[in-house]
Amino acid sequence: MPLTRYGYRNAISGFFEFPTDNARRILPAGLEPVELHHGTSIFSMTVFDFTESEVGTYGEAVMSVIVSPLVKAGERLPKSAFYPYLVATTTRAAREHAIERWHLPHWMEDVEIGFESQGRKLSARVAAEGAPVAELTIGDYSWHPVSHLYQSFMRDGDGSYLANITMEGQQSEHEEETGRIRLYDHAFNKDLALSEVYDVPFREIWMRDGAQTFQPLVELETA
Amino acid sequence: MEAAHRKEERKSVFSDYDYSNFYYGAGDDPLNLLGPFREWYEEAKPNGYYLYSEPLSSAPTTHVQVRSGRTNEVHELLNLASYNYLGVSYRDEVKQAAIEALQKYGLGASGSPILSGTFDIHEELAREVAAFKAKEAAILFPTGYSANVGFISSIMRSGDTIFCDQYSHASIVDGAILAKSKTVFFRHNNPMDLERKLGGVRGKKLVVVEGVYSMDGDVCVLPEIVEVARRHGARVLIDEAHSTFLFGPNGRGVAEHFGLDKEVDFHLGTFSKSLGGQGGFVCGSRELIDYVNAFGRSRFFSCNLAPPIVAGLRAGLRIVEEEPELRTKLWSNVAYLRRRFAEEGIDIGKSTSQVMPVLVNNDAKVFAVAEKIQERGLYLQPVTYPAVPKHKSRLRISVSAAHTEEQLEQAVGIIAGVLREEGICR
Repeated sequence: MPLTRYGYRNAISGFFEFPTDNARRILPAGLEPVELHHGTSIFSMTVFDFTESEVGTYGEAVMSVIVSPLVKAGERLPKSAFYPYLVATTTRAAREHAIERWHLPHWMEDVEIGFESQGRKLSARVAAEGAPVAELTIGDYSWHPVSHLYQSFMRDGDGSYLANITMEGQQSEHEEETGRIRLYDHAFNKDLALSEVYDVPFREIWMRDGAQTFQPLVELETA
Repeated sequence: MEAAHRKEERKSVFSDYDYSNFYYGAGDDPLNLLGPFREWYEEAKPNGYYLYSEPLSSAPTTHVQVRSGRTNEVHELLNLASYNYLGVSYRDEVKQAAIEALQKYGLGASGSPILSGTFDIHEELAREVAAFKAKEAAILFPTGYSANVGFISSIMRSGDTIFCDQYSHASIVDGAILAKSKTVFFRHNNPMDLERKLGGVRGKKLVVVEGVYSMDGDVCVLPEIVEVARRHGARVLIDEAHSTFLFGPNGRGVAEHFGLDKEVDFHLGTFSKSLGGQGGFVCGSRELIDYVNAFGRSRFFSCNLAPPIVAGLRAGLRIVEEEPELRTKLWSNVAYLRRRFAEEGIDIGKSTSQVMPVLVNNDAKVFAVAEKIQERGLYLQPVTYPAVPKHKSRLRISVSAAHTEEQLEQAVGIIAGVLREEGICR
């Protein structure tokens, strides 16, 4: 399978503290949450504004738990690893493509995603079934071109999978605590104990004018 | 062309990663992180990480001889990196006491404190430190780290809840892990967030704070913390590692400074900071200390403090009691340095203590700044992520009563000069 490339205008991520108990409830056996402190793991929300892909332009929101990467001597070290437990897209074509090719678990209806720029901040609002589910705001810091490797772990009824993903583009990354998340009481967020998720991100990443490239999917053996 | 590309790729590996990327690795072999870490570290060291663990070949006075990790040459540098806040560890009476104890007792305690390792001078030091802190009793630990680990795990259990400031020292976190209690972190020095976290939690609750936070030098807002904890039925432990012997009318610490000595339940301190020695202690009621003696595993499964150290600490404690002017001099030095940094436009964050972070706020530049400062004759250590948040990199200053104003002025001149050259201050 060749590399699969998705061009984006903006991709914003917030990393939030939440209880390890909650992380373990979400994660399948065999995946370990990365802990910031004892008992505190990392919930991440990423919102993409894709402008170029096999399935056209679309928006995507990814809710993840940060997990231990699969590290192998002699191979490139990933910047971090994710377990996306819920992905939502604005188009059916994008959803079907991601389920079929990457085994990503999806919210099975189209969602609405809107971006709004306010000075040095960018907000993304996600709505499902006409109701808001999440609003993520990220601030910028300083911009540098990067090429980072990430790992994404997936598991469905057919098996367990690893996708090595390269994120390229201009990046701003910081821990200035300028962003915010608002998670609404909605079925979309049923996996999270909402009152236990910090609403200020300890880390904010904003990438723009870049590409997300998936290497061919790796099928993992699991016990 | 390809070689140049590979070189560029390696360079990006160094700048994109740090220690935090090597905590976790999937797979079955616990050694699978060694190769990737070595590969990264071989790049990191010449890029600035050589500044860590440079060996000293002299006492940690106001000047030290430091062997460069880059050139292997030994340089004499003005020292604002060592704790030794009162400058007592190298005083003649301290060294003489240690020498005499070495002659009398030999090198080590040769046993656990609950078996054959307790000597008369251990009991005397415990009595003296309890008297200094105006508490009924005290118990000694081999290090400050083991004091937190041993004390917290001796009183808290599975099913209990420990509330720690998010900037808590690793020894507090590790104590909570060993206690197997649920651990909840509240926003740094934020009683409102503590209140939110405490709400609705049942069972035994312990709130842990530090008198002075070691990376930022800010002082705990203890009155508000104690008030919130009391309202929710939680006990309070204060770690006064960086504040015992310094704060308060009698030097007992931040709890005394706020007049809350009796309201705080557990008082922990170390001998390695203000006294420049080694060891930790907990003070409290006799029954508390007897309980910790029975359940503080980090203590009784370690050899007791070495007698020469204990004797030196006793001499140091006597100096602190007899020479309160040392504290006066320290605070005078702190005020001088704060004023001069403000005049020079140097950002030291929220520090109000003898611990001062010179904020560089540039993770890529902090090592170059530290190297330049060292080349100009000042010994300081860079602190970067993950010890502090990304882009909050800094140089950490420890002010001592032993510093003269001339030495502090020399330090300000070096720091301001380098920060200006690097565009970090005006």
